[in-house]
Amino acid sequence: MRLACALGLVALACVVRVAVRTDGSGAILFSFVGFPALAAALAIYAAARWRSGALRESAGGREER
Amino acid sequence: MEPVGPLFATPPGGHGVPWLHALPILVAAPASAMLLWGLLRGRLLPAVGAAAAFLAAGAFGLGGLLVLDDSKQVSFCGSCHVMEPVVASLHADDGTLASTHFARGLVPHETACYTCHSGYGIWGTVDAKRAGVRHMVHTVTGDYELPLALKGPFDIDSCLGCHLGAPSFRAVEAHRDPDVQKALVAREVGCTGACHPAAHPPSALEGGRPQA
Repeated sequence: MRLACALGLVALACVVRVAVRTDGSGAILFSFVGFPALAAALAIYAAARWRSGALRESAGGREER
Repeated sequence: MEPVGPLFATPPGGHGVPWLHALPILVAAPASAMLLWGLLRGRLLPAVGAAAAFLAAGAFGLGGLLVLDDSKQVSFCGSCHVMEPVVASLHADDGTLASTHFARGLVPHETACYTCHSGYGIWGTVDAKRAGVRHMVHTVTGDYELPLALKGPFDIDSCLGCHLGAPSFRAVEAHRDPDVQKALVAREVGCTGACHPAAHPPSALEGGRPQA
């Protein structure tokens, strides 16, 4: 989870950088650092939630219906 | 001395809150706070985690819109060192096609590069964005050659989009010549070269290095 948060913060730092000053280096950071960092952060977060069982329907839940 | 005053402030209409720049930061701020909390604590409540993911993705999407829009600016093009001489030559009014258009206000000053180089119509915009990504890759990898040169022929629809309907354009004898018209329609010739001056001075395409 810490890795996902760190990568998310890296992505957001790239967003803030490009919003404060939109230039070529900012766009390169945004595209080639920020985007992969955000994608990795979301993937790691989704995997962590999946492993914790959040995205699966529990057998008990089905029986209750 | 160049006259100054509010009328000459650029960009025109650039008053009030720059929402395109402010929104990504406003959305990124709470997301950053949540992610920082998660980084320090090592865990996030599911609802907070979902909110952080949603806000981070939203901030990034708004940032993407900002980059798409602001990358049309001449200042954006000129922010890479290799393009600095080209942008500087626009202001030189040296008789090249680009500087003539720029000096006479025939292209929007804020988006002059994009106006001519994006191509015509919606596919011109798409091509321009693809070219922009390629340019970023070339800049990062250093994989480019000097002097700078267009990849493929210049899209003369960018010229014709403005000039075609102008009576002054249609009145030019050379433009009425059937052979010239046929060659232009077939894209066998362009506007610059034989008939009109080069778009940019050769020295500007050297990326700042001394011309060979």
